[in-house]
Amino acid sequence: MPTLSMTVNGEQVSGEVEGRTLLVDFLRENLRLTGTHVGCDTSQCGACVVHVDGVSMKSCTMLALHAQGTEVATIEGVANGDTLHPMQEAFRENHGLQCGFCTPGMVMTALALVKDNPDPTDAEVRHGLEGNLCRCTGYQNIVHAILDGAKAMREGAANEGES
Amino acid sequence: MSKVKIRDSVRRIEDLRFLTGTGNYIDDVVIGGEVVGVVVRSPYAHAKINGFDATDAEALDGVLAVITGAEWAAQNFGPIPTNSAVKENRDGTPISVPDRPCLASERVRYVGEAVAFVVAETLAIARQAVELVDVDYDPLPAVTHPVKALEPGAPQLHDAIEGNLCVDWELGDKDGTEKAFAAADRIITLELHNNRVTGAPIEPRGAVAYYDDASGTYTIYQSSQNIHANRNQMATILGIDKDNIHHVAPDVGGGFGAKNSVYPEPVITLYATKKVGRPVKWVNDRAESFLSDTHGRSQYSTVEMAVMNDGTFKGLRTTTIGEMGAYCGTVGAFTPTGGSARTQGGPYAFEAMYYSAKAGFTNTAPLDPYRGAGRPEGSFQIERIVELAARELDMDPVELRRKNLIPKDALPLVTSMGLDVDCGDFPTVFEKTLAMTDRAGYEARAAASQAQGKCRGFAIAPYLECTGGMPKEHAVISFDDDGSVSLAIGSHSTGMGHETSLPQILAAQLGIDIERIKFTQADTDATPLGGGHGGSRGMEMGGNAVLQTAGEVIEKGKAIAAHHFECSVDDVEFDDGAYIQPGSNNTMTMDNAINAAQDHSTLPDDLAPGCLDTGSTFERGIISIPNGCHAAEAEVDPETGAVQITGFWVVDDFGTIVNPMLADGQVMGGIGQGLGQALLEQAIYDEESGQLVTGSLIDYALPRAEDMPPMRLDYYEDSPTKKTPLGAKGAGEAGCCGAPPAIVNAVLDALKGHGVTHIEMPLTPEMVWQAVRDA
Repeated sequence: MPTLSMTVNGEQVSGEVEGRTLLVDFLRENLRLTGTHVGCDTSQCGACVVHVDGVSMKSCTMLALHAQGTEVATIEGVANGDTLHPMQEAFRENHGLQCGFCTPGMVMTALALVKDNPDPTDAEVRHGLEGNLCRCTGYQNIVHAILDGAKAMREGAANEGES
Repeated sequence: MSKVKIRDSVRRIEDLRFLTGTGNYIDDVVIGGEVVGVVVRSPYAHAKINGFDATDAEALDGVLAVITGAEWAAQNFGPIPTNSAVKENRDGTPISVPDRPCLASERVRYVGEAVAFVVAETLAIARQAVELVDVDYDPLPAVTHPVKALEPGAPQLHDAIEGNLCVDWELGDKDGTEKAFAAADRIITLELHNNRVTGAPIEPRGAVAYYDDASGTYTIYQSSQNIHANRNQMATILGIDKDNIHHVAPDVGGGFGAKNSVYPEPVITLYATKKVGRPVKWVNDRAESFLSDTHGRSQYSTVEMAVMNDGTFKGLRTTTIGEMGAYCGTVGAFTPTGGSARTQGGPYAFEAMYYSAKAGFTNTAPLDPYRGAGRPEGSFQIERIVELAARELDMDPVELRRKNLIPKDALPLVTSMGLDVDCGDFPTVFEKTLAMTDRAGYEARAAASQAQGKCRGFAIAPYLECTGGMPKEHAVISFDDDGSVSLAIGSHSTGMGHETSLPQILAAQLGIDIERIKFTQADTDATPLGGGHGGSRGMEMGGNAVLQTAGEVIEKGKAIAAHHFECSVDDVEFDDGAYIQPGSNNTMTMDNAINAAQDHSTLPDDLAPGCLDTGSTFERGIISIPNGCHAAEAEVDPETGAVQITGFWVVDDFGTIVNPMLADGQVMGGIGQGLGQALLEQAIYDEESGQLVTGSLIDYALPRAEDMPPMRLDYYEDSPTKKTPLGAKGAGEAGCCGAPPAIVNAVLDALKGHGVTHIEMPLTPEMVWQAVRDA
C-alpha cells in the first residue's frame, strides 16, 4: 500500500492507505479524527468539509493520496486548547446547532467563507452554505452565527493590528 | 458557576462537544476488534425468493459470515412487533398486521427490504461480498400507489390480507356532522394529497453491538430515539429476556421520527455479533437510508366543510386513504387514523366533525411517524379548506378565520374528536401574529413584485396540535461523593438540547449550579423505563419527570434541615434554594443539605448517606394542546414557477417555556421541514418498477439556507396547561403543523389573479408553472 504523509492541524502525520481510500476515511479511521462526519454518499451534505491548503473541500470527494504533502485542517484543530474559536463561540451563542452532526462541516465552511469575504451579507452567507445541509435548525441561527463570528473575527484582527 | 432559572436562554452544555469535533455518534463508537456488517437488500419491489447461494461471498477472504433470510427463518425468531394505539377497525374486527421478519426468506415486498447480512473484517470486503450473495428471485407485479393498492385487481402483498387493507376506521360525530351539512348553505369540497416524505436526519441509522458469553448479555449502541422500547421489542423478536440487552444511544444526529421504530438491522446485528464472536458495527449509507428508513405522511384526502353564507363554519368531514408501506411500522396504523383524526378542525369552532380513513399496504418502505405524525396532515386539511372557502365565499381569508376561531371563554372544551382542549387564547395568538406581519407595508411590497413581473401573496394559518408518545417518564437524581449531582432520564434528545434544559429545570428547582449536574439519557441501565423521543414529549414528559423527582428530593431534604434546625420536619419550608424555619433565623441552603447528606455525623439517626438519591416516574393524565399561528409571504414568478418565501412569522403557545432559545430552535427547525414538504420534498416510487426514484440527496431535495425565509418568532405565555405541574405543552412538532399550509396558501394567494385555486405539494417550479398554465 502506498504511504501517505501530510500535515493535519499543524502536526506531521503519515500512514499507509489503499489507492481508493478517501481523505475522510484516512482522517476518521487512520487518525481517529472523528469530528469530520459522513452524512451522504453523493457529496451533497457537507458534513465532511475540511480545509486542504486553506481551501474548503468535501473530504468524501477527495482521495487521501490527493492530499499528499498538503496542510489539512479539521474541526479538531479550530479551538485553541479549551478556548473556542470566535466562530465556534458564535455558533454556541446563536444556537446555530442542534444535533451537531452537520456542525463541523458548517464551521469549516464558515471559516473558509469568512476568509474569502470577511464582512459577508446575510445573502452571501446563505449562498456560501449551498454545499452544506442541516436538517435541524432551519439555518437562520447558523446564518446569524456566521455573521456574528465574522464580526468577532474582524474585531479580533483589528485589535491584533492595534496591539 | 451560575444559577439558572426556568425561562432563561441557558447556552447549551452539549455544544462544547459538538463544536470541537468530540461528539460521539454511532460511527465514532469504538468497542475494539469490531467487524463490519452490511445488509443485502432486495432490488425488487415485489418478488418470490426461490433460494439463496452465499458460497462465493463466504469464500471471500475476510468474510466471517453471511446470514441469509433462510438462516434467519430457521431460528424461528418472532416478527417485528407493531404497537398501534388503533387496534380495531370500525366494525370491531382487529386491524390486519402482517408478519414482518427481520430478514425476508420467502418473499420481498419493497425495494431495499433486507434479505441477508454480510459480516466481514472491513467495510470494503463486506460490500464486495454483498455483490456476491446470489438471491434467486421471481419478480411479481407491484403496486406503489396507496389508492390503487385498495382497488380491485391490484397486486396483493399478503396472502392472508384481502385487498391489501390494513385498517378501516372512523372517529367523530357522524350523525351530528350529517345534520350540520344538511343545515349549511354551502358545502366546500377539496381533494388533496399530503406528499410522502422522509425524516432524512443527516446522520444515517447504525448500531454497534457485542455479546458477552460469560453473562449471556448483549450490549448495543444504536442511533435510536427510543432505546427502552426498541430494547423490549428486540428482546421479543429474539425471544430473550429484555434485561439481557443493555441498550444505549450515543450522540444521535437527528431523528424526526425516522429513528423511533424498531428496525430489522439492529436485531440482525445482535444475532450477528453472537454468531461471529466479535463486536459488529453496521451503519447505513445515505442510499440505504432512503430505501429503508420509515417514510411519513402520504395521505389522499377529501375534505368537506359545511359553511353558512356569512362564513360561519358548521361541520367538517374528512375522508382519507393512508398508506402503510409493505408492512406495519412500529405504531403501524395509528398515523393515518387516530394520529390524523385527533386535531381535526384545528382551532376553529364546529358544531360537529367526522373523520373516516382506510390505509393499505403498498410495495414501498414502511411508513411510521414523521415529525407530527398525523397532526400536520390534519392542520393542512383544515387550513386548505378554509382558504378555499374564503375564495368561494368571496371573503377575506383573514376575516373568515377570525370569525370562526374558538373564543377564549369557550375553553375548556372537548371536540367531536374527543380532544380535551383545556386552555389557550386562539384569537389573541392570531391577532398577535397578524400584528407582526407588517400588513401596512404589504401593498408596496406587492407592487414592487408586480413591477418585476412577479406575484406576491400572504397567508395566515393558525394551528392546534397535541402531544403524544409514551405516557410515563422516569428521572433519577443522585448525589455523588465528589459533590456532583447526577441526573438520568428516559426521555431522549436527538438535538433538542435536553442535556441543558433538563439540568436547567433541576438546577432551578434545587437552587444549585447547573455546572454541577452530570446528565445521562438513553441508557437502559440508567433508568428503569423511558419513553424516548416522540410526540413533542421532551419537556412535557421529561421536564415534568425532573420537576417531580426534584420535588421529592426537596421533601426528603427537609428531614436533614429539621435535624440541623432542631425542629420538627413540619416546621421546615423550602424557598429559593434554601430550607428555612419560618419565624426563626434558621436557614440551610440546598448545597449545604446535599453536603450534609453525604456524612453520617450530620444526618439524623434514621437517615444514611445517599438518602437524597431519588428515582421517580411521572405519569401523564391527558395529552397537552400546543397551539399557535403561522403566517407567510410568498413571491412567485408565474413565468418560471419559482417560489421564494420572503417572510415568515409565528406566535406559539407552548405553555411554560423552559428555555426560549431552545424553543426557538425547535420552531425554526420545524418550519424548515414544513417548508421542505411544502416546496421541495417528495419520496417518489416508479409505479411500473416500484423503484425509489428519489433515492439520493441529489433527487430528494432538502431545504438549503437560501430556500429559507427570515423567520420572526414570539410566544403567548399566559396559558400554561394545568394538565401537568410544569405547564409545558410541547414544542417539537408545531413547525411542521403550521408551515405547510401557511406556505401553500401564500403561494395560492399570489396566484389568485391567475385563477389557481389548488396545487399539490411539493410546489416545485414545475408544479406551479403547470398550474398557472392549466388555470
